[in-house]
Amino acid sequence: MSFELNRKLAARRKPLPTAAKVDPVTAGIIRGALETICFEAATHLGRSASSPIINQSNERNASIIDAQGRLASGSIGTPHLTFVSQLTVRYGLDYVQEYDWGPGDVFLGNDPDCGGGHLPDYNVYAPVYDDHGELILVQALQAHQGDTGGKDPGGFTLEATDIFTEGLAIPCVKLVHRGEKRRDIIRLVERNNRFATFSGDLAAMISGVQMSVKRLQDLIRKWGPDVVKAAINHSIDHTEQRFREEVARWPDGSYEGTVYIDHDTLGTKDVKVHVTCTVQGDQLTVDLAGTDDRRELVGVWNTFANSRGYVMVQLAAMVDPGIVKNEGLFHAVDIRIPEGCIAQPPPNAPAALGSFHPACEITEAVAVALSKVVPGRCQPQVYKIGMPNAVIGFDQHGMWLDQGVDARSMDVSAVAGIDGWGSCPAALGNLLLSEAEDAELRFPVLNISREMTTDAGGPGRWRGQPGSLNVKKVLEPTMAMAWMVSAAHPLSGMCGGEDASPYLNHFEVGSPNERRIELTARAQLPAGAVIAYQHGGGAGFGSPLERDPEAVKEDVLDEYVSLEAARTRYGVVLTGTLENYDLAVDLAATLALREQMKSAKAAKAA
Amino acid sequence: MGYRVGIDIGGTFTDFALLKGSQVVLHKNLSTPADRSVGVMTGLGKLAELEGMPLSGFLGKCDAIVHGTTVADNTLIEMNGALTGLITTEGFRDEIEYRRGFKEDIWDVRLAPPRQITPRRRRLTVPERMLANGSVYKPLDEAAVRECCRKLRKQNVQSVAVSLLFSFVNPAHEQRVAEIVAEEMPGVHISLSHQVLPRAPEYDRTSTTVVDAYVAPRVTSYLEKLVTRLKDGGYRNRLMVMQASGGVMTREYIAGSPIRVLASGPAGGVIGSAHVGAAKGYSNLLCVDMGGTSYDMSVVLGGAAPAEAGWNMHHRYLIGVPMVKVETLGAGGGSICHADNGALEVGPASAGSEPGPICYGRGGTRPTITDALLMLGILTADSGFAGGSFSLTRRGVEEAFRAIGEQMGYGAEEAALDCWRVVNANMSQAVRRTTAGKGIDPKDMVMLAYGGNGPVFAAIQAEDLGIDKVLVPRASPAFSALGALAAKPSIDEERSYIAPALGLDRQKLKALWMQLGERAERYFAEAGFAADAIEAKYQLNMRYRGQNWALTFDMQSQQGVRDLSFVSDNIGAVAIEAFNKRHMEEFGHIREGETPEVTGVRLATSVDTPVPVIGKGLDTPALAARPDKTRRANLGGGYQDTPIFRGSRLQAGHEVVGPAIIEETFTTIVVYPGWKARVDDAGDYELTRAAAAR
Repeated sequence: MSFELNRKLAARRKPLPTAAKVDPVTAGIIRGALETICFEAATHLGRSASSPIINQSNERNASIIDAQGRLASGSIGTPHLTFVSQLTVRYGLDYVQEYDWGPGDVFLGNDPDCGGGHLPDYNVYAPVYDDHGELILVQALQAHQGDTGGKDPGGFTLEATDIFTEGLAIPCVKLVHRGEKRRDIIRLVERNNRFATFSGDLAAMISGVQMSVKRLQDLIRKWGPDVVKAAINHSIDHTEQRFREEVARWPDGSYEGTVYIDHDTLGTKDVKVHVTCTVQGDQLTVDLAGTDDRRELVGVWNTFANSRGYVMVQLAAMVDPGIVKNEGLFHAVDIRIPEGCIAQPPPNAPAALGSFHPACEITEAVAVALSKVVPGRCQPQVYKIGMPNAVIGFDQHGMWLDQGVDARSMDVSAVAGIDGWGSCPAALGNLLLSEAEDAELRFPVLNISREMTTDAGGPGRWRGQPGSLNVKKVLEPTMAMAWMVSAAHPLSGMCGGEDASPYLNHFEVGSPNERRIELTARAQLPAGAVIAYQHGGGAGFGSPLERDPEAVKEDVLDEYVSLEAARTRYGVVLTGTLENYDLAVDLAATLALREQMKSAKAAKAA
Repeated sequence: MGYRVGIDIGGTFTDFALLKGSQVVLHKNLSTPADRSVGVMTGLGKLAELEGMPLSGFLGKCDAIVHGTTVADNTLIEMNGALTGLITTEGFRDEIEYRRGFKEDIWDVRLAPPRQITPRRRRLTVPERMLANGSVYKPLDEAAVRECCRKLRKQNVQSVAVSLLFSFVNPAHEQRVAEIVAEEMPGVHISLSHQVLPRAPEYDRTSTTVVDAYVAPRVTSYLEKLVTRLKDGGYRNRLMVMQASGGVMTREYIAGSPIRVLASGPAGGVIGSAHVGAAKGYSNLLCVDMGGTSYDMSVVLGGAAPAEAGWNMHHRYLIGVPMVKVETLGAGGGSICHADNGALEVGPASAGSEPGPICYGRGGTRPTITDALLMLGILTADSGFAGGSFSLTRRGVEEAFRAIGEQMGYGAEEAALDCWRVVNANMSQAVRRTTAGKGIDPKDMVMLAYGGNGPVFAAIQAEDLGIDKVLVPRASPAFSALGALAAKPSIDEERSYIAPALGLDRQKLKALWMQLGERAERYFAEAGFAADAIEAKYQLNMRYRGQNWALTFDMQSQQGVRDLSFVSDNIGAVAIEAFNKRHMEEFGHIREGETPEVTGVRLATSVDTPVPVIGKGLDTPALAARPDKTRRANLGGGYQDTPIFRGSRLQAGHEVVGPAIIEETFTTIVVYPGWKARVDDAGDYELTRAAAAR
């Protein structure tokens, strides 16, 4: 539990030892089989788990780690989890002898200081042996749990100054020994979790990895362990080579991105994330030097494993999507994270909220830095919401949490050639958002509105998707927690595009107690209280004055953009009325207005 | 006894299966895309001719015409359905655009959005709100509904979807909106979410309803046109239409929810498979259909093709109605092979039928799987292809594979073999994905292969998946049409009812099942089926508290829908036991001490109709078949002289030991080393793995 451990866990690992050679086609076939097994494990978990965050929001992932601790194959779910999983497993792999690893075992780890992301991300994993008893692979399933047994329900404590406030930290514990569940340990883990449906989720994770282990054993038997090992080595090398080929096409140089978080959870303003991406030939270096390291900051500490993972999520989205996601990505990129900065906190720092911020700002800063290098793929893979309003109550079964990822139309920025669309950036496209009817059938809440807000979001030659206004009423006295960011520093526009809109959050709307949450909130809401969360939407790409006026007209007809904003932000003059669906572009007036706006802008810049 | 005709319209061919007594006659002719009913009438004319009678006489003797149509699928592929509007609850205008956040490729930020059926300007909202318990929280603002109608009229909307929150619990507001729309917009089609998909959550229900509204006018008008042509031609009975659930039902029933015909074509094939498998004594089948552009996979369990309602994405829209689950992979004979940065890839791009593979000699320049098969000697340029309609050519084929080989560092023949391996692996992985989450191990199944290319790959894939037996029905070229004849008239509907399993309201359960039963009885009566002929399966949807996916299981199977005496006082306990059994099968564990909850009440009804009799199996003693010739071919283990058999010369009992190739009229069956094929009494092929025979 130290920077030294982080260095050791992150160090490049050797290939699996084998003298076998494998042809690329066989390697591809085995890689496909591994991906399918991950798909099966993740599907199994999604279908049998009990909590909306797993079974609806899909905030879970399956990955296969090799015996050296390298990511051999990742699958569906949240990509941010895939790129974190291997460090938790590496920690466990250091204790193979001490913890008496053997066939039929299943382990659990979540400790941020032992390779973990944050406490809620429970990683359940199981070793896979060949018929001679050699450890070949580890199947891991990681999923976000509704609670961690810390001070506050849900695991997010706004003022936490150490990890122990946040809950039970598990470096590596055995849940199943040689096929037999260790009921004492499982009971201990269950006891340290408030969540009513936690036991069901844990059971589903265990049965999911057990199913995969059988499949992987069959695979190893079919091809022989050496061929499987050679195939994994080949696949990882191939990914590294493909990534380097992409980088080699980028112009050499140093590209910087700076993104600020409005404030930490106690109000210290302008927390800085700085990234320098250096391209030299086929080598990409991502250096976080210059990122905030003030020790007094609270709530904005992102674990080392998470910081690496979030850098990689953004990079993987900025290259050919066909490149296989495995350890080869980490081989191709030199990620440098200063020890002691908010992206690699000292031991025992709280970690829960850091997974939102600065994690997302790291991702965004990489996107900003490389936006001119890869303009067609510079969409930040983020959620700029501070922390979704956690609406928590208790009934006879225990604690409930209203929905998992309850966010609509958030942060989908445009890239060169394509407007932002849908509800989330691409990499979050596996999170199936919870629906109002599912929530209201379970919890005492009433969803009033989740529509996009006209003009929310960033104008640009290509437009960011407008953010939504989420309005919800609680029908019973309920606890609600929030942490607001992205109001002073909303999501960044790219290459001349405008920033997204500020996030806003109001509690007890329409009552004498109505208030805007500027920083944080931990409130006991009375029955009937209304909360309203305005999402900032996506940012624009390129100057809005270059947007096709016809596209602006269509946007006005669809009420993504108002008539007024068409004029004031895009410089487009329309005739006719929205009421009669007969809008038309006045081209001459539009050109004149745009010239005028460009001059004014140039004058202002001068 | 009258005739029964099964018809399946595909992209290229319209297939017919005529059942007279126990005899089945197959026929194919070209489809007529401009007006598909023309191709149907042409084929029926041909069948009449074969029977030696005029069309009117033939149609007059038809007891049933059963039809599978792709009109809804084509509407979505071509995106040329009705101009559609949506009326939904205030505050929920954009759920259909959010798609619950779903994106098809999470790593491709350049993926374009799906084309919107209801762009934002045609999605309008009205103040109203039902609660989860069905009570009215906010009354319907009727003036707002009329204002929506004005806006939709102004935009020339032809079809209106109405989807309000919790309409599946209390449909009063939706019904009233429908009345107002009918008044304000006479002549427009209206789809109501509580009728199309009476279940949560709102995106799933709304998406299904929007697609229903979009395809409805075209499906309805097509079926009306066909009915008119058939009636004018002398047909006197009801036209039965294939549904995606695998059952058939009258046009009148379909008109209530035309989306039920979407994806019904492949469902027909699966039903045909179940029927053939059952006749041979195999109840668990993995069905694979490989044609020119795609590879379709589905499963038959316990003799039935399970129709699942749920996350079915079709043409980028979610369709929540029960569908026989058919997964599609872009892998067919026309799939293009290419080397990309040192990796060999096959598909999903396809050369289609024009220009087609290089070996078609129609100008194709990119090597395909069909070309690879020619290189490997599995296909030949020496005899006719596709029923003898043309011959393949080797010109340009070898050069194309040599070019791939150069990138991979070997020769043309190795490149062709690797393409064969890659497509094989892609298909095996796709099968695993299909069975994932269903708790099915393909090992325990029999593979049933059809389509032009299915039997080429079937045995090698079976081996890959641990399957020991493969069936190749002789009727495979017109399999979906045969399936239409085997499909039962059926109605499968559900109603929402949410309650803990130990707190079920018996009267409410009875009332819901009664309501579903009466509805089924009425439609069956109109189709000419007696009430006591109805086979009824009373089912519940159930899950553990917190789970998002319910499991469906039978509570009672019986004849007729009047007797609800099985709804006893302890029905909750019975349901929990049945549910836990299903959960164990599906997920390998149960939660002791937890009380699951009911989420829906379902009634699956069907009636029996005469079906094609399929020969049982292997009663004729085995006798060795003699090859017609040999050919240099590589079946995965290197090139060698391989015996070639002509299918038309093989008879019941004939046995072919691999390695061998059997050339059938519309397909090629490869008997890989270690396998043998035997012709059964019905003329169908059964392939078994030697190791399995032990």
